[in-house]
Amino acid sequence: MEKVLLRNIDVLDSHTLAVYRSRGGYRAWEQVVKDFKPEQLIEEIKVSGLRGRGGAGFPTGMKWSFVPKESPKPKYLVCNADESEPGTFKDRLLIEKDPHAIIEGTLIAAYAIQSNTAFIYIRGELAFGAKRLEQAVHEALETGYIGKNIMGSGYDLDVIVHKGAGAYICGEETALLSSLEGGRGWPKVKPPFPATHGLFGCPTVVNNVETLAALPWIIEHGSAAYAAMGTDKSKGTKLFSVSGHISKPGVYEVEMGYPFVKLIDEDCGGVPDGRKLKGVIPGGGSMPVLRPEEIAKVNLDYESVQAAGSLLGSGGVIVMDDTTCMVRAALNLARFFAHESCGQCSPCREGCHWMEKIFHRIEHGEGQRGDLELILDVSGNIMGNTICPFGDAAAMPAAAFIKKYRGEFEAHIEEKRCTVRME
Amino acid sequence: MDPINITIDGRQVTTPKGKTVIEAAAEVGIAIPHYCYHPKLSIAGNCRMCLVEIEKMPKLQIACNTPAMEGMSVLTQSPKVLAVRKAVMEFLLVNHPLDCPICDQAGECWLQDYYMQHDQQASRFEERKEHDRKREIFGPNVVFDGERCIKCTRCVRFLQEVTNTDELAVVNRGDHSTIALFPGAILDNPLSANVVDICPVGALTDRDFRFKVRVWYLQKTPSVCPGCSTGCNISIETYQNRISRFKPRINEAVNSHWLCDEGRYCFHDLTGGERLTTPMIRHEGGLVPTTWDRALQATLNGLRSAAPSAGVLSGRNTNEEAFLFAKLIRGLSQDCALEVFYQERELTEVQKILMSPDRSPNFRGAREMGASSNGGFDSLIRKLKHGGFSSAYIVGEDLIGTDRDPEEVRQALKKLSFLVVQDIRLTETAQLAHVVLPSTHFGEKEGTYTNRKGRVQKLNAATIAPEGALQDWEIFGRLLDSSGAQVSCSTPSEIFEALAKEIPGYQGLSYATIGAQGIPLGGESQS
Repeated sequence: MEKVLLRNIDVLDSHTLAVYRSRGGYRAWEQVVKDFKPEQLIEEIKVSGLRGRGGAGFPTGMKWSFVPKESPKPKYLVCNADESEPGTFKDRLLIEKDPHAIIEGTLIAAYAIQSNTAFIYIRGELAFGAKRLEQAVHEALETGYIGKNIMGSGYDLDVIVHKGAGAYICGEETALLSSLEGGRGWPKVKPPFPATHGLFGCPTVVNNVETLAALPWIIEHGSAAYAAMGTDKSKGTKLFSVSGHISKPGVYEVEMGYPFVKLIDEDCGGVPDGRKLKGVIPGGGSMPVLRPEEIAKVNLDYESVQAAGSLLGSGGVIVMDDTTCMVRAALNLARFFAHESCGQCSPCREGCHWMEKIFHRIEHGEGQRGDLELILDVSGNIMGNTICPFGDAAAMPAAAFIKKYRGEFEAHIEEKRCTVRME
Repeated sequence: MDPINITIDGRQVTTPKGKTVIEAAAEVGIAIPHYCYHPKLSIAGNCRMCLVEIEKMPKLQIACNTPAMEGMSVLTQSPKVLAVRKAVMEFLLVNHPLDCPICDQAGECWLQDYYMQHDQQASRFEERKEHDRKREIFGPNVVFDGERCIKCTRCVRFLQEVTNTDELAVVNRGDHSTIALFPGAILDNPLSANVVDICPVGALTDRDFRFKVRVWYLQKTPSVCPGCSTGCNISIETYQNRISRFKPRINEAVNSHWLCDEGRYCFHDLTGGERLTTPMIRHEGGLVPTTWDRALQATLNGLRSAAPSAGVLSGRNTNEEAFLFAKLIRGLSQDCALEVFYQERELTEVQKILMSPDRSPNFRGAREMGASSNGGFDSLIRKLKHGGFSSAYIVGEDLIGTDRDPEEVRQALKKLSFLVVQDIRLTETAQLAHVVLPSTHFGEKEGTYTNRKGRVQKLNAATIAPEGALQDWEIFGRLLDSSGAQVSCSTPSEIFEALAKEIPGYQGLSYATIGAQGIPLGGESQS
């Protein structure tokens, strides 16, 4: 398979403009500026079948097309580089190793919606990545890929790298916009949607790093070439950041529809030291865990993973072997979500902490009968009832851990101790 | 605007385009429970109490932020909706202390009310509750209890959107989220106490009112604020014949949902102090108690024998009182001057949201009743200071205490050959009087005020005047009777019917139709 996203990262100094250009960089941008009308570009991306890689998998071209063309307000393109989903580190690799691909993608997307200001909102902790991006923006500006009257086209575009202050919730697009506006990182109630009332109340598109990084390749090779990869509904390639109990952790690019087991056992070398796989989270910490038997026939595309009862999400694959205490794993995630809940709406603010407290008791030998039903009930009461998807992100894994490893939870409650690590 | 047809709980509802589901429902009397939604604030959508089921939408939707769309079918009582209300109530009570017996909000707390209406089940939360700041002083009038707060952000939005003063913000995250003052800020803007009214729970309480009386003992009387000529609609809330607090009453033509702090707390000054309960008359240099008959006769004799007279009415006298007073003074002497107390001050931008520059709620009305010689209050006082009057009848205002040059006023009043003061207390001015007549304050009165914009609004008696004091209109009426004038005026309502026949602009108005929201002069078109 030809690499779309990781095509440059193994090259020395891949982050520099010189190397990027030597590998064909910015040719797509030149082509877009010279040959494409915005509508044409949107159509091209629609045909490519590219879907948002931030987790929701919404078709990118369609997202762009929601931006009103005749709006008198400025339009904004925002690159979401606030990667903070547990177990996800794919964007970070691109940011640090191939910042120009992200910038080129950002330029293309901004052009598609005719935005004159683009922001790259990067997670505060990614200090090195932010530096790389700033350097790259500077180089592109010097070269004339960004700025006024780009390559004589009459099109102006500014790109601003903005560092967040380190909040998971700011990866949610409307919370990101609130933060970018200088406010508290709180998701906004919808409607209205960002496409019409986004940043500073203006039409805005927020695209993930990986989504944008795929754009130059699609333009250069054509949407048909991209659409030729992957499955019927999930096109192209996707990055998977594999971590946990795995022999070769790292970021892998595979074609959509790639067999899950093949990725884990062959590409990543399987679970180390002859131990057995106990469970795997396919799409970052907010997605339901899958048991080994559940992934046997799963392919890595949106539909197949969903059919198995989880979601592809960000592609953050967390592998757990049979030494893992699932109660502890559930507590770990519950604690994360309790800590990161923004506190704006009642079910998430109160429910996430409540679940964490119960998981904490169970793990520490203070579980009671009825605790599991209570967590399932609380998670059910959060699901779908919150302002943003965070509520679901906290509720889904909690419920999945209990449903799929119920015996282990019950043993913790009955025996008042961890039954896994004692063996 | 095109009307939209939607169905709510099977009822056909027609609503103007642009309304949300919660508004459309409210219009037909379907109350969808809510905490964060407030009709005068932006939509926050954070409490999740107003989640309703909408046909063809997979998830429940918040009624406060869902636009009513043609053909929409809304269910506010479906099993799913009833279940989610219980769930939201349970979440809101997770960290909320269950100590209603010692909470000042008890009895008017939305958590209590909605618990009874929508929840009624024991909490399953057995963990340790999170703690927060207790009784933090936010400003001169407002105190905060972080543990009782449900983070609906109504207070924050009020300060951002109505006063634009931004004293409060939400800080911290998750269940440590709390409301806090910005560093260095104090919640002391002129409308600060409104945050207490809009706080649905016991998080923000009124420092002046809290712990004085349980709210279920309060008697509520609709009336008009006596603070200034804006005429904000209020509810005077009393306990054991004392005013405990003012609360704003909603009137979109006047004050919307709000009341300024100055108005809210003005009853302390206007009603406090030792009350006069018997008329007094000057005898051998001192004031001695006397009967009403003697005091009134002395008043008539004194005014008749010492022309020219000055008549000064308080800005808090009603139209009915002003009508009689004008008749009385003009009948006694052709050579009199009449005015209504008036003093202006500079207002800040925030004060201007509600407040008028004066402190005379019925300045316009009283003058329209004839209590004005067209020279204005300042000119009357100047003339008084220069010895232009031989006698004066001063009602309800301590001219010495309120003037910029009290000594000048004192000397002028001392030189009068006859001074009658009608008030509720023995003020400095009253101490100089030849006759002192004990009367009543705004809270004991029935009658009407006409606000600055010409809206006639009704006052109702919230407390009973002490024995021995008479209503101002009653005093004027008895004086008119004794002076031989033919005015039938045994109740404020009768006096109003009389003035409505006589006073231009008030013709056609009827006391019975003024109602709780008042009525604009010159018909409804003016409002």
